[in-house]
Amino acid sequence: MIAVTLQRWSAWAPGRASAEAWRGWCAEPAPLEGEGEPAARFLPPLLRRRCGPLARIMLQAAFDCCAAGELARVRTVFASRHGNINQSIELLEHLAAREPLSPARFSHSVHNAQAGLFSIAAANRQASSSVAAMEDTFGCGFLEALCHLEREPDRGVLLVMGEVPLAPTFAALLDERPASYALALLLARGGEGTPLAFDLEAAEPNGAPAPWPDALEFLRWLHAREPRLRLGSGARRFAFQRL
Amino acid sequence: MTLALSGARRRSEERPPQAPCRLAALGLVTALGRGPEETWPRLLAGDQSRLRVRGDLVPGKSLVVGEVTGPLPAIPQRLRRFACRNNALTLAALEPLEPAIAELVRSAGRTRVGVVLGSSTSGVGDAEVAIRHRRETGALATAFHYEQLEFGGAARFAAELLGLAGPCYTLSTACSSGARALASARSLLALGLCDAVVAGATDSLCGLTTNGFGALQLVSDEVANPCSANRKGLTLGEGSAIFLATREAGGIQLRGVGESSDAHHMSAPDPDGRGAESAMRGALADAGLAPEAIAYLNLHGTGTALNDAVECAAVARVFPAPPPSSSTKPLVGHALGAAGALEAAFCWLVLREARGGSLELPPHAWDGRRDPALPDLPFAAKGARAPAGPVMTNSFGFGGNNCTLVLEGGPA
Repeated sequence: MIAVTLQRWSAWAPGRASAEAWRGWCAEPAPLEGEGEPAARFLPPLLRRRCGPLARIMLQAAFDCCAAGELARVRTVFASRHGNINQSIELLEHLAAREPLSPARFSHSVHNAQAGLFSIAAANRQASSSVAAMEDTFGCGFLEALCHLEREPDRGVLLVMGEVPLAPTFAALLDERPASYALALLLARGGEGTPLAFDLEAAEPNGAPAPWPDALEFLRWLHAREPRLRLGSGARRFAFQRL
Repeated sequence: MTLALSGARRRSEERPPQAPCRLAALGLVTALGRGPEETWPRLLAGDQSRLRVRGDLVPGKSLVVGEVTGPLPAIPQRLRRFACRNNALTLAALEPLEPAIAELVRSAGRTRVGVVLGSSTSGVGDAEVAIRHRRETGALATAFHYEQLEFGGAARFAAELLGLAGPCYTLSTACSSGARALASARSLLALGLCDAVVAGATDSLCGLTTNGFGALQLVSDEVANPCSANRKGLTLGEGSAIFLATREAGGIQLRGVGESSDAHHMSAPDPDGRGAESAMRGALADAGLAPEAIAYLNLHGTGTALNDAVECAAVARVFPAPPPSSSTKPLVGHALGAAGALEAAFCWLVLREARGGSLELPPHAWDGRRDPALPDLPFAAKGARAPAGPVMTNSFGFGGNNCTLVLEGGPA
């Protein structure tokens, strides 16, 4: 069991930007929109043009979650199952057509593009990692955030989990509801906030995916009364508990 | 045998002792060969004879690449949704480790063994084939599964192959991915969530990265010639290096991790090199070592104009007297997401092969033409030796993502 304090959260999805809107969604969850992106007005125009929908959504949640003084101070973990795979697929289409690749599009297709863009936008020179773990991506992102707290206990870690719908040909291979969303959590050892305990539990795979993305199941749990939450359907469960 | 402390002047006041992270065993496959035994003599010889020229990766261009040649092990049928070249390279590295991992699963339990792998390509090379197939026929190739392409599949393949149920994820931070995977393995051990972690990285040559780096005009048409006045860019490569990291003292330890972001540009390093410098300083502080304790530095050393200038200047600022240094990328190519793990593996070999209080060093394979614009680092020549001590390796990636590791110890 590992103790950690959730100092703040923020989330963004099309039509749902405010904390109040999310509290409403947590009480009565409804299917999320597939398409849509925030204006992300905090980004300078040149940088904003370089941000695709996923970067805008994740950076919006990240900036909303941090006070101005924290933006450059926190370590960051960006978690996404699909990340920028849509951009990679587009580049592969160009390759298949024997067309030259755009250097800017290539360099923004890496899985850590959101992390890099955030570091530039927030002038953040701290450690940053980018995680992918199939259907366990949120739980493993949380775990990677705890790894950063282990390496530097006195510095907060901003975990940002986000997705946009996968391109249709590839989405057809997966049993997943298309959704655009991001959740940002500011985690620390102690301080003001909600103290939580995290643990890993072994389990038999049950193949039963939760109705909502894990990150948003976590948000619903934060707003509910149950003392414990278990996420994951595979060989491992991510267990959260209020302390 | 305590090679670990020789020559190292410690800063005892800095922080409490690290939880141990022993890099107990290594699986390795690169253009230099398969496994530590085949790799070591070729690494020391600066052997570039296995690099090859491929004309099929970038239209109208021949590229020198560090390719793993010869057949790769077949992905078991039960794991065919993960069948791709990237995972076959992982399997080639892992096979020799399987008995040791099976033993750990018996003693610690399958939930206590984790997997953290780095990759910047995952199975995108096989996805190229699937997409070409779709262009021609209207449907993706039937052998294609999304698990081959998605980053998370790289770590999950290893976990399912080995029957592990501990934490399992992929880190993809471009060229620092492999170094980061080792850093996270150490943290998972220190947090008590794992008793052992299968940690390393794999990347595979493919059209996407060769054409992408080509479009950025970072690829040389000759073999990479890092830090030379004549350098023209990088040579791409592929490979896999996977460690078995355990919570034991002794042997070779991951002692220091230093991390930073440039906050500058998506595909070019910050010319002032503050990120590179702070990663090296961070790794030294984390290991509790003074700069003069480092016996050998494995450079990121890509051979691009900007990387080498920024890195050499940062090294000269961190080290009043820089240690013998080399880039091993001219021997195996720049394996991008795997590079940090491959170079940690080469550092591991240097420590493991220590004899009589001295280290044999991989040579800096270049034309020897110093760039007058760069600080004068002591590049290791063939046959170079150094008094035994901790060694450092740098990894600097796209997105300005930097990670420096310090390894320490010697033959168990």
